[in-house]
Amino acid sequence: MNIAGKIQEILNNIEKVLIGKREVAELSVTALLAGGHVLLEDVPGVGKTMMVKALSKSIGADFKRIQFTPDLLPSDVLGVSIYNPKEMEFEFRPGPILGNIILADEINRTSPKTQSALLEGMEESSVTVDGRTIQISQPFFVMATQNPIEYEGTYPLPEAQLDRFLFKLKMGYPSRHEEIEMLERAEKNTPLEKLESVVSLDELIELQHAILDVNVDQAVKSYMIDCIAQTREHPYVYLGVSPRGSLALMRACQAYALVKGRTYVTPDDVQYLAPFVFSHRMILQPEAKLEGITTDEIIERIFTKVRVPIDRIH
Amino acid sequence: MNEVRMDRRLLAFLYLLAFLLLWEWLLPVMALTDSGYLPLFLLFIVLSFVLALLRCKWWLSGCIKVIYIIWALHNTATDQLLLSTETLHHLLKDVFSNGAAIVAGDWQGITDSFRTVLFFLLLWMITYLIQHWIEVRKSILLFYVLTILFISFIDTFSAYSAEGSILRIMIVGLLLLGLLFISKFAAENEQVIPGGVFAAISLPLLFFVILGGLLSSVLPQHDPVWPDPVPYIKTMAGGTANGDQSAVSTSGYDPDDTRLGGSFTEDDTPVFQAKVDNRQYWKIETKNTYTSKGWEQEFPEDEEVFVFVPGDVMGEPIENSQNETKEAQLKMTETYPFLLYPYGMQKVFTDDPHVQFHQLQSSGHYRTMMGNEEAALTDVTIEFGEPTYSLKELRATSMKDLESLGDEFQSYLQLPDQLPDRVRELANSLTEERESVYDKAMAIERYFKRGGFVYARHDVAIPEEDEDYVDQFLFETKRGYCDNFSTSMVVLLRAAGIPARWVKGFAPGEIVKNEGGKSIYQITNNEAHSWVEAYMPNVGWMPFEPTIGFSSTADVTYDVERDANTTESNVTEQKKPEQQKKKTQTTKNESTFDLGKWMSGNKWKSVVIILAILIFGWLVYHLRRKWLPAVLVRMHRTGKLDWHAFEKQYKSLLRQLDRIGYPRAPGQTLRAYAEEIDNYFGGDQMRILTDAYEKGIYGKNIVDHNWKKLREVWEDLINRTSG
Repeated sequence: MNIAGKIQEILNNIEKVLIGKREVAELSVTALLAGGHVLLEDVPGVGKTMMVKALSKSIGADFKRIQFTPDLLPSDVLGVSIYNPKEMEFEFRPGPILGNIILADEINRTSPKTQSALLEGMEESSVTVDGRTIQISQPFFVMATQNPIEYEGTYPLPEAQLDRFLFKLKMGYPSRHEEIEMLERAEKNTPLEKLESVVSLDELIELQHAILDVNVDQAVKSYMIDCIAQTREHPYVYLGVSPRGSLALMRACQAYALVKGRTYVTPDDVQYLAPFVFSHRMILQPEAKLEGITTDEIIERIFTKVRVPIDRIH
Repeated sequence: MNEVRMDRRLLAFLYLLAFLLLWEWLLPVMALTDSGYLPLFLLFIVLSFVLALLRCKWWLSGCIKVIYIIWALHNTATDQLLLSTETLHHLLKDVFSNGAAIVAGDWQGITDSFRTVLFFLLLWMITYLIQHWIEVRKSILLFYVLTILFISFIDTFSAYSAEGSILRIMIVGLLLLGLLFISKFAAENEQVIPGGVFAAISLPLLFFVILGGLLSSVLPQHDPVWPDPVPYIKTMAGGTANGDQSAVSTSGYDPDDTRLGGSFTEDDTPVFQAKVDNRQYWKIETKNTYTSKGWEQEFPEDEEVFVFVPGDVMGEPIENSQNETKEAQLKMTETYPFLLYPYGMQKVFTDDPHVQFHQLQSSGHYRTMMGNEEAALTDVTIEFGEPTYSLKELRATSMKDLESLGDEFQSYLQLPDQLPDRVRELANSLTEERESVYDKAMAIERYFKRGGFVYARHDVAIPEEDEDYVDQFLFETKRGYCDNFSTSMVVLLRAAGIPARWVKGFAPGEIVKNEGGKSIYQITNNEAHSWVEAYMPNVGWMPFEPTIGFSSTADVTYDVERDANTTESNVTEQKKPEQQKKKTQTTKNESTFDLGKWMSGNKWKSVVIILAILIFGWLVYHLRRKWLPAVLVRMHRTGKLDWHAFEKQYKSLLRQLDRIGYPRAPGQTLRAYAEEIDNYFGGDQMRILTDAYEKGIYGKNIVDHNWKKLREVWEDLINRTSG
């Protein structure tokens, strides 16, 4: 199988409907390949849903959407056992989480109880209802969104839970000509309808296995660890990146190298992905927040400081 | 990357300031080395800076500079037509002889024109460096500090006074530093400061620099509270310890010798031309009273003046001059009211029959008179028989014979009362093992050639009130010219009990033409000389030449049986020092060039040479970004084509880029860096190379590459970095 070609096909397919979001698409595919999940933090209407739908269409996956509201219950997510009077027994009705690609919209609007039901499922790849454990079918990819501008009546996700997401991304607005092009395309038809799958689910699973073959050189590994150590030692950082974060970074780098058509990870991959992997895993000191320093700035500072390995470790 | 270009006007001003600083370098160099042509060198610097300002292509500016140097050389040295075959021949000869001189370490042997070329090259390098400092580095601190060090060093240790210079350097240098800092600051922030704003920003700088300059020149200066350490440093360095060296006199004949010492500048004004068979010392007079500062001549009260007319037999009777009569024709350029005569003078002829020669017996001075007036002759013919000395007779001279000499010889044994004892002790230790008077005299003469003395016309001490001229030279400075050597020898001879007197006149000079079997010698003011006459019992007064670099013309007949005595070598040495000198240059096995000895003898020179080597080495190292790529390309062209070679190539490219001012930040990945480099140079070579390198480094794939293409790309890129 032509790995690089397949991945490019997926990306091109997404680009058909989503203009100027190649980067987010790449990162989403990266997360999908690495078996991770994505937290999208952005204002409504920038194409979050479109993005996930296009992705799921491209891989021919089962797409589910959960709109989180304050009164949503865990059973609404996981599924519920209902008494079937005909059969005279309880029958399990699977919830939306038991799909392949799930859009968890406005995840911070629902109660922590429901949130943790979702997050547990994401972490374990299985759900437990009425003492029964049900495996979630692979591939399993959750794209959760949260709206950063509304705080009234929201339940911000705790840091420990945020760790479950591989990336935290922002969509951002399209540029002027991208937006014009978007209008032109939408003038005549809705492009999403026409989208066809380019990769089968089995092929996708194969791709997910392929990332394990991507070489991470000893030098690059120590570079990652050097950078992560810096996040733990930086004076402005209250909580640094956890070892789970290290693992996540390596997986993400492997997947990203594959997306870029390489069979090895370079320090560029580390530098590029680190902000998406680290930013939701770090808590800054109150002083830093007072001074208006953001996590991204600190990550940038760390990367200008840590020496990039340009020699082989023999 | 450094897109911000400096404003042309600002750049011109900065070059002007740098030019002023360089000028301050040239002034002392010119003053101390007696080289003229300061405007020529200054013009060269101006030319270099203007070319730099006009952003001239390097080959064009190089051509212009070379043409200028040739023109300047032509202007100063030769009078041949430009680019004739003769010039070319001359040039080639010059290069070869100078090359040989440099290899042999004979620094005196380098011709002036070659020195000028070297100096031009040095200036070229310096201007290039300044250009680099101003335009690329935007920092001139190093040059500024060097200038200050150089000027203060020169001011402290040489006759040059840099009083005004220091202030000028301070103002100009600080201004230059400040302006460069402002423009560097602007460049770092990628800002273009318009001319008006720049001037406004510079105003406070200008104000403070001028204020500082004014204050430093107006405010009272106190003398240092610590003792002056300079004389001590100089003694340590083996230079001149004492004395005021500010007195710089000009070479030439000067009848006043009451205060000897101090530097003098060369003066090659012709004095006369002598047409004669062979080299002659031209004597004027002798002096007999040493005052511990210089020489005076005491005339006895009943001094008899002998009067001769042209054609009379005159001169000192020399017992051994049985030789054939020779003739010397003197054409005076400088007119003196006295005779310049060779040893063994017998008759003097001149066109004017009314001329009289008044001889003062005690000093051997012949005044030329017309009636009662002193008169100067322009053409004189002198008949003389060159005295020869028999070594046999010289060896037979004994100290006992001296005892029987009359009272008139007492004045030739005179020594000042305050003469330090160590002078006498030295005279004793030099002579006590010798038997004959001649051998004793030779031992003293030889001491000057072997005792670690240095011949120098600069930095020669003048004795302080409580010091003795000879003592200072013999024991402290060991540095001086003919007056030091001859006076010291006379004093040593006298201290050893040998009657001796101090002779003034001119050295033989240089042959300028050969005419009818005779040579025409040109004698200039530089040939003004002093030497020694010692009295050999039963032989008479005999000249000796203690000064390093001069050889006596006294003809000693080698008429003793070979007895393996040291005297033999003395004679050879006396007769053929010049030949020996040549031999040392050509055949190394005969007398090898002892570097250590030479260095201890020429401390200052060796310091300068070592400095020059260091500077040269530093320059070669500093400018390696220019020449190293070519070397690397050549080196790798023959090498193997594999990962290791490529790794080396890539690394050397990184270093080269760093050298030309595009360093990779430690946190910058190779790919990001490659993009930056390709943006600068255009093309995508760095990306191609980096992709291959990353594949090897991070991907462990060190086989799958097109090595040949990579090497081509690498060569192309690294060549562009040196352009």
